[in-house]
Parts: sequence; C-alpha cells; structure tokens
Amino acid sequence: MKLLTRTSLSYIFISGVVFLISGLIFYNLLHNIFKRQLDETLHEERLLIEQTINYSDSVPDFRQVFGHLIDVTILNAPQPKTGYIRDTLMYDNELGTFASFRHLFAENTSIRNKGYIINIYKPLRDSENLIAEIVISMTLVFLTLLFLLIIVNYFITRRVWIPFYRILHNLSKYEINLAIPLELVKTDIYEFNLLSQTLDKMSKKIRLDYLNLKEFNENAAHELQTPLAIIKSKLELLIQKENLDEMQLQLISAIFEATTRMSKLNQGLLLISKIENNQFRDLGEINLQMLLDKTTEHFEEMIDHRKISVSKNYQYDVRLNMNPALAEIFITNMVSNAIRHNIIQGRIDINVMQDYFSITNTGQMMKTDPRDLFERFRKSGNNPDSVGLGLSIVQKIANLYNMKVEYLYCDGLHTLKVSYI
Amino acid sequence: MKILLIEDEKELSRSITDYLQNENYLCEAVFNFEQAIEKINLYHYDCIIVDINLPDGSGLNLIRALKENKSETGIIIISARNSLDDKIIGLEIGADDYLTKPFHLPELNARIKSIIRRRSFGGVNEIVFNDLRILPEQMEVSVNNQSLVLTKKEYDLLVFFLSNKDRILTRESIAEHLWGDEMDTADSFDFIYTHIKNLRKKIMEKGGEDYIKTIYGMGYKFTDQ
Repeated sequence: MKLLTRTSLSYIFISGVVFLISGLIFYNLLHNIFKRQLDETLHEERLLIEQTINYSDSVPDFRQVFGHLIDVTILNAPQPKTGYIRDTLMYDNELGTFASFRHLFAENTSIRNKGYIINIYKPLRDSENLIAEIVISMTLVFLTLLFLLIIVNYFITRRVWIPFYRILHNLSKYEINLAIPLELVKTDIYEFNLLSQTLDKMSKKIRLDYLNLKEFNENAAHELQTPLAIIKSKLELLIQKENLDEMQLQLISAIFEATTRMSKLNQGLLLISKIENNQFRDLGEINLQMLLDKTTEHFEEMIDHRKISVSKNYQYDVRLNMNPALAEIFITNMVSNAIRHNIIQGRIDINVMQDYFSITNTGQMMKTDPRDLFERFRKSGNNPDSVGLGLSIVQKIANLYNMKVEYLYCDGLHTLKVSYI
Repeated sequence: MKILLIEDEKELSRSITDYLQNENYLCEAVFNFEQAIEKINLYHYDCIIVDINLPDGSGLNLIRALKENKSETGIIIISARNSLDDKIIGLEIGADDYLTKPFHLPELNARIKSIIRRRSFGGVNEIVFNDLRILPEQMEVSVNNQSLVLTKKEYDLLVFFLSNKDRILTRESIAEHLWGDEMDTADSFDFIYTHIKNLRKKIMEKGGEDYIKTIYGMGYKFTDQ
C-alpha cells in the first residue's frame, strides 16, 4: 500500500469513528435538551391548568388553548399530590398511526378541596423532526469537511513527500559496483535532508568497504600466485629425483594435486574479480556459431570418450559484442560443464536462436538447489575435485554483457539458456 | 643453446634454471629489468623467458628493445597476471608465446623447444628419438620409417613427451598441455590414460618400442632406459 493511500485511508477511518461517536453523543445531548424543554412546557401548562382550577373549579377546553391533547378531571374528594412525566405510545389522530408522546400526569387537591387529575399529552414528533434535520445537516457539513480535508491532506502530503520519493528513486537506482555516487536530494524539510545525508554517508562507506574487500580479494588471489608457482615448480623438480620410492611419490602426488586445485581456485577467483572490475574492456564481434564449433571440437576426444552425441541446431547467425577472451571462457565453461555432468552415452544439444542460445545435456538429477547453481563453490556431490567456480564465472560474464543465464531441468535434461537482450 | 631468464622471484627462477639445465641448455638468470637490458645488449640468446612484472620496469619494454635490435631471439612471456591485455600486447609486439603463472615446468620446456625448433631454419627441424621420427612442420610421425597416423591430441601428447624425455610428467601437466587450464583436470585423468594407451598401441603396432612408463599415482615418463 502506498504511503498516500495509507494515510488517506487512516484519515477516513479515524474521522468516521470520531464522527460516529461524537454524532451519538451529540444526538443524545440534543434529545435530552429537547425533552427537558418539552417537560418544562408541560409543567408550565400544568401550572396554568392548576391555576385555572384553583380559580374557578371549572375546566375550560385546554385543547383549544394549547393545541394538543389535555384531559382534566375534577373529583369531589381530595386527592394526594402525585405526578410523573414519561414517554408513551398513543394513537395519533393527525398521523393516523401510533406515535410517541410525552405524557404528564398530575393529581392534586385544589384550594377548594376538590381533587383533580391532569393528563397532558404532547407529541414528540416535532422535536424528533427537528433533531433529524439538525443531524442530517451536521452530517452533510461534516462529510464536506472530511472530503475537503482528505483532498487537502492528499495534496499536501504528496508535496511534502516529494523529496522522500526522490531519495527512494535514487536509492533504487544506486548500484554499488558502479562509480556513480548516490544522488543527494536538496529539500527544506529537515528530516528528509537528514535522511538524504545519512544515506549518502552510508552509501559512501559501504562502497569504500566494498572496494576494499574487492581489492583485498584480488590482491590476495594475485599474491598467492607466486608462492603457488614456486611450490609447483619445486614439486616438479622433486619428482624428477631418481631415488624416490612409491610411497614418497604418492605423497608428492597428493601435494601436487592439492596445489593444482588451489591454483585453479585462485585463478578462478582472480578471473571473477577481474570481470567484476571490468578489466576486460576490449570488445570484438564474436561469431557464436564458430565459437561453439571451435569449443566442441576442442573437447572432441573427451566427448567421444564418454560416447556423447552432440547435435547442433543453428537457427540464426548470432554475433555478440564481447571481449574475445571472455567469450571463449564463457562458452568453454558451458560446454565443459555439459560434458562433465553428462552420463556415458549421453547427449548434448546446442541451440542457437534469434534471442537466446542453449546447451542441453543429459545427466543425473541435481542434489543441490538449482537456484544456488550459480553461486561460488557450488558443486554437485559426485565431482569432489571440481572447483565449483565454472558457472559462477559464466554468470559473471553474462551479467557483464547484460545477458540472462537460466538453468532449466526437464525429464533428465539439464539446460543452460542464455538470453541476449 | 643459450637461454636468458628474467624473473624477479628468485625461487621460481632457480626452479626454472634447474629444470632447464638438465636439458643441456645454458641458462642465465637475471632478476630485474636493468640487468636484463645489459645482458641482451651484450650477448645473443636463442630464447629469453621474461616476466612482465619486473620491479624496475615492464617486461613488455624489454621485448620492444629486443625487437628494435632486430633480434632473432625467441621470446616467451611468463606472467602472474593472466591479464589477457598483456598477452595480446605481448604477442603483438613480437613475443612468440605466453605462459601464465603458475605453469608446469615441462610445459615451459616444451614451449622453448618448439620455439627453438621453429627458429632453426635450415637446421635439423625434426625430432628423433631412437626409432621415432617427427617432422613438426608437417606434423608427421614415423616409426621405423613407417608413417604413423595419430590424432591431433595424440600427436601433441607425443611431442610433449619427446620434449620432456626421461622426466616424469604429471597427469596435471599433461591435461593442461592438451586442454588448457580451463578444464578441470580430475575429469581428464582417465581420459589421458586411454590416450596414452592408444598412442602406445599405435607405436607398438608399427614395431616401435614402448617408451611410456607409468609412474603409479603420479604420471608418465617417456624413456628408453
């Protein structure tokens, strides 16, 4: 939910609740006021009637005087003084239906020692109508006010949050591996200024850390090359010695293999950091078909050895604008991957289409999560000697040239699909 | 054969000279740009092996200096930076070959031999080992004067063996020689085995001797001893 929608909705909701509660209170208040007023009128009327009774013992037609139902009865015996006022339902002649009335009942003894009973009924209809009118007009006023408030709030909020959205936009565009710094947003709102500055500071720090780490990685890999080269060369000299027994040779062989793996790992990491640092700037036109043919030819014996059949389907003459060396590594890694993870008498299908090319190979089900496939040091269980950088390098190269690599699995067929956009 | 090695890493330099001396090369080692310039101005070498990153200059400039003198010396670049730019520039300005550290010593040896072979015009441009004879330019192999049909990889393998005879070649160095370093070596071990088996069979079918000895768990050795 957008910030603006959220605040507007909250606004409407809270105003609604407040209006409902205050409306109820207001209605009750109004109701009570009207009732009290009605009761006062009733008492006044009673007093007037009493005065008349005290004065003359006669009962004039009060109905004519007050315009509503008044019933006075004079008794000969004196009556104790009682009385009440309450609401009652009665048949209303004017409306022709039952309606609420305020009913005053009073009993007393007049000065002339005669009892009397007074019943006054006053319809509530008028005051109820009045209340209804008041409530309706109040509601209308409130709704108009609310509507205006929301509109005003919407526009003000939108205005006020503009810098925030700009900051957000800049932040989403920001990429740590590009040298473009996070764009600062100038605003007169203190908090947003602070936010912008803090983000700026933070991004600079993160970028610095990132660069340091990258430099460290590269330097570490680079500096390891020489000692590795020395170890390897010394081992190679050592195995040429005449008097080594089998046991010693096996020991050396184990060291040798470990060193080879380490140096491969190192080269892979170095390559990745070089790709990340964009150190392969020279571009050239790569004929994808030719490169694929060359690479499969390079691995021909290995393919024959595993009795793998290769079928090529070139639908389109694709030229890619890539660094030639990287293109070679890219394709070599993909092809060797398809050979390595293949089964004996398996199959490799190479397809070149207008907007993608794919290499499909038969192979065993993967034990690892396909999503982790492109991560560094991810390897399938049956190949402990592989370094696990091949596909990670493929992905890095693809990223560099805005290509998309996908892994698909279907019926024992593994496909690496590269879409050039 | 005179070889000049320009490598600032002393231990590596010693390994290389050790290995090459056994091949009856006269191998001189210098450790910086200045010494190297002095040497190449004074003496003639058949081949120089030059590291690009020297403490006091770039190996590339050394190659330029050599080329300015119209030197016929073969040049092999060795560099820890597997920066391909260096490789391209190096080869463009006249280097004959490029090796990335860490490399296998037999590989360097094979490359030197190949360069020297290519440069010895009019000389004996063939490799002979007892009953085996290879004409590298034509890529022809014969045993007991009977020509031998080999696949490209078998041929490469044989030349690699002959360049490093009497030496143990590890499976790693053979794999790298045949498929480059982008291949995971472990995969190719059993494959090397088949290759060698085939090569052996082909040579022996023509009445040749089996020179390839298996060094268990380590590699192979091409020898007649």
